Amino acid sequence: MSLIANLLPPSNVVIDLEASSKKRVFEQAGLLFENQQGIGRSDVFDSLFARERLGSTGLGQGIAIPHGRIKGLKDAAGAFLRLTTPVQFDAPDGRPVGMLFVLLVPEQANEQHLQLLSELAQMFSDSKFRESLLNAPDAASIHTLFTSWGPNAADERRTAV
Amino acid sequence: MDWIYPVILVGAGLIVVSVLTSALAFRFGAPLLLIFLCIGLIAGEDGLGLMFDDANIAYFLGSLALAVILFDSGFGTRTQTLKRAAAPAIVLATVGVLLTTLLVGVVARYLFDLPWLYALLIGAIVSSTDAAAVFFLLRTGGIKIYKRVRSILEVESGSNDPMAIFLTILLIELILADGRSNIATSFLTGFGMQMGLGLVIGLGAGYLIVVVVNRIHLEEALYPIVVMASALCVFALTGEFGGSGFLAVYVAGIVAGNSAIKGESALRRYQQGMTWLAQIVMFLVLGLFVTPSEFGPVLLPAVALGLFLIFVGRPLAVWLCLLPFGFDRQTVTFSCWVGLRGAVSILLGILPIVLGVEGADLFLNTAFIMVLTSLLVQGWTIKPAARWLNLIVPSQAGPVERIELELPGNPRHEFLIYRVIDDSPLIAGRHLPRWARPSLVVRDGRSFAFERVGHLMPGDYVYLFAPPEYVALLDQLFAKPQGPSKDDKAFFGEFKVKPESRLADLQRSYDLPVREGQPEEQTIAEYIAAELGSSPVVGDRVPLGPLDLVVRAVYQGTAITEIGLAFHQDSRKTPYKRAATRTPLKPITRLAGLLGWRGQRLKRTPDGTKTP
Repeated sequence: MSLIANLLPPSNVVIDLEASSKKRVFEQAGLLFENQQGIGRSDVFDSLFARERLGSTGLGQGIAIPHGRIKGLKDAAGAFLRLTTPVQFDAPDGRPVGMLFVLLVPEQANEQHLQLLSELAQMFSDSKFRESLLNAPDAASIHTLFTSWGPNAADERRTAV
Repeated sequence: MDWIYPVILVGAGLIVVSVLTSALAFRFGAPLLLIFLCIGLIAGEDGLGLMFDDANIAYFLGSLALAVILFDSGFGTRTQTLKRAAAPAIVLATVGVLLTTLLVGVVARYLFDLPWLYALLIGAIVSSTDAAAVFFLLRTGGIKIYKRVRSILEVESGSNDPMAIFLTILLIELILADGRSNIATSFLTGFGMQMGLGLVIGLGAGYLIVVVVNRIHLEEALYPIVVMASALCVFALTGEFGGSGFLAVYVAGIVAGNSAIKGESALRRYQQGMTWLAQIVMFLVLGLFVTPSEFGPVLLPAVALGLFLIFVGRPLAVWLCLLPFGFDRQTVTFSCWVGLRGAVSILLGILPIVLGVEGADLFLNTAFIMVLTSLLVQGWTIKPAARWLNLIVPSQAGPVERIELELPGNPRHEFLIYRVIDDSPLIAGRHLPRWARPSLVVRDGRSFAFERVGHLMPGDYVYLFAPPEYVALLDQLFAKPQGPSKDDKAFFGEFKVKPESRLADLQRSYDLPVREGQPEEQTIAEYIAAELGSSPVVGDRVPLGPLDLVVRAVYQGTAITEIGLAFHQDSRKTPYKRAATRTPLKPITRLAGLLGWRGQRLKRTPDGTKTP
C-alpha cells in the first residue's frame, strides 16, 4: 500500500473533466476539495497558484503535480483529475497536460510533503502506469491503480501476464 | 634519388591507414591513439619490418608534433574554463607531477633494482597526463561530462607536460653529471628559469601573434600558416633561451585563442587538422621506434609499475593535491582515474637515448609498456567510470544540423545554415525570434525568400544571420526536442523553478526555514550563485534544507537560466556538495581565490535573451 493510496478517497478521482486552462483546472480542484473535504476553495486555489508562480509543476509527458500547503488542514489530501482536452501548463517538454494529481498538505509538514511528492514523481515516471491511467475506463479503476501501485508494480504486472 | 618515392609512399601510406582505421576506433570506443600506436608497431621492426631507430629524428618529430598539439589545446581552452579550473589544475600540473615522480620513483627503485636517480627518472618520464588522450576521451562519443571536473582535467593535461619535461631533463643532467651537482639548487634555478621564461615569452608572443595577424592583410589561406609558424618560432625561441618551449607555446595558444583574432573559425578548422596530423605522426613514429621483441626483461615490472601508477600513485598524488580545495568525492575519484599517459611519456622515454644515458633502452621500453597499460585500463573505462560516478550531464536537446560560414569584414553576425528536422519546435508552431535574420530557405533544391515560404517544413534549409551569442538559443529551436527522461529527473530534479523567483517564496511553499541573514529580495538564481561562489555550470547542485536546487542551463557561463528542483536528497545520486568555502585550509583557498578560482559574480540576463 503506497503512501498516496491513503490520501486519495475514491470520490477524489475525477475523469472527463472539462477545463479550458490551468486556472480553470485549479478552480475545479478547489470546488472538488470544498465539496468532498470541506477545504475552502479559494484556499486551495491560492495555494496552488502561489506554487505555480515559482515554476510549473508539470513533469512532462502530459502529467502535472500541482501542490500546496493549506492552513488548518489536518491530513494531507489528494485528488486525481483526468481532462477531456489537455491544457497548456508550461511543462518542461512543452506538452499540454491532461492528467493531474493535486496534492494538499497541512501547513507544518515539510518532510511528509516532500516524501509524497517524490513518491508521486516516481509513480508517474513509470510509463506503463501512465498508460493505464490514460486508458482506464472509469474513476473506480483509476482508484484501484493508485491503491495497488508499488515501486515494483511494473515487475509484478509482468509476472502476472 | 630512388629513395624519395618509397619513403613518401610508406610515410603517407601509414597516415592513410591510420586515418581509415580511426573509423573502427569510433565504433568500438577504443582509445584512438592506441590504434595509431599499434599501426606503428605493426609496421615496425617486429612487424612488417620497417627499420627506424634514429632516436634524434624520433625525438625531433615528436617534439615538433607536441608543440603543435599544445598550441592548439591552449588555443581551444576558454578563459572561463581556466578560471574554473586554474588553481586545482596548476597544483596538479606542478605538485601533482612531482608527487607522481616521487611515488613511481620509489616503487621503480625496488621493482627494477635501480639507483635512485635512475628510478626517479622513470617516475619523471611517466609523470604527465596526455593532453591529446584526455581531450579526445572526455569529448567524443556524444556524452557531456560535468564541466567542473572536465575543466580541471583538461587544463591539467595541457599544462603538466612542461613540468614532466623539466624533471626528466633535470634528472638526466644529474645522472650525467654523476653526483657532482646539487639536486636542490638545480631544481630551483632550473624550475624558475624554465617556467618563468616559458610563461613570460608565451604571454608576450601570444599577444604579438594576435596583433600581427589583425594588422596585416593577407590571402585568407595564409593566416593559419603564419599563426602556426609563429607558434613554432615561439617554441624554438624559448627553448633556445633556456625556457620551457612547451609551456610558452601552450600559453601563447591560450592568449591567442581567447583574443579576437581574424579568421578565427578558419584558424580553428586548420589547427584541428594539424593537431590530428601531429598526433598521428607522433604516435606512428613512436610506434615505429620501439622494438617490442626487446620488452621481455622489463615487461613484468613495467606492467606492475603501470598498475601501481594507475591504482595507487596517481590517486594518491591527485587526492593530496585536491585536498585543500574541498571537492566532492566524485570529482576527486574521477580525477584520480583520468590519469591517461600518452605520447609525451614515450617521447620523454627517448630522451635518455638522445642524451646518452647508459642503458637508456630500459626507460623507453618501460615508458612504452606503462603507456599501453594506461591507455588500455583507463582509456577504455573513462565513460563507464563517469557514468558510475554520475558525472554525465544528460543532454536536454538532441543533435542539431548546422553549418557555419566565415564572413568577410569581421561582422558582428554569424552566418548559419540549419536543416529543419522532423520534430523541430519550429514545425510545432514556434516562430523564429526577431533577432535571427532569416534570409533564405532552400526547399527541394529551390530557394525562396523567407517571407515567401510561410511555414517551415522538415528538410528545409534555413540560411540566417545571428549574433554569435544567440547561436545556442537558435540551436535549441532547431534541435530535436527530447522529453525529460527518467535519468534527467534523477539528475536535474523533478520540477523546474524560475530563476527569477524569490527564494523566500520557495521556502514558504515548502515550509522551509528562512536562513539567517538572507536578503528578503534574493532570487533563487542569486542564492545558487552565492552558494557556489564561482561561475555556475550545468549540473551544479546546491542544497536548500531537504531540497536540492540543480542548475539546468547557463547563459554564456555566467547567468543561470534554468533551475531544477529535486526532492529527497537521500535517494539522489549526485551529491555535489562543493565545500570550497568551508575548508580547513583557508590560506590555500584564499590563494586559489587570488588566482581566480572563485570566479565571477552572477550577471543578470539581458532582456530578450531568455529562452525564446
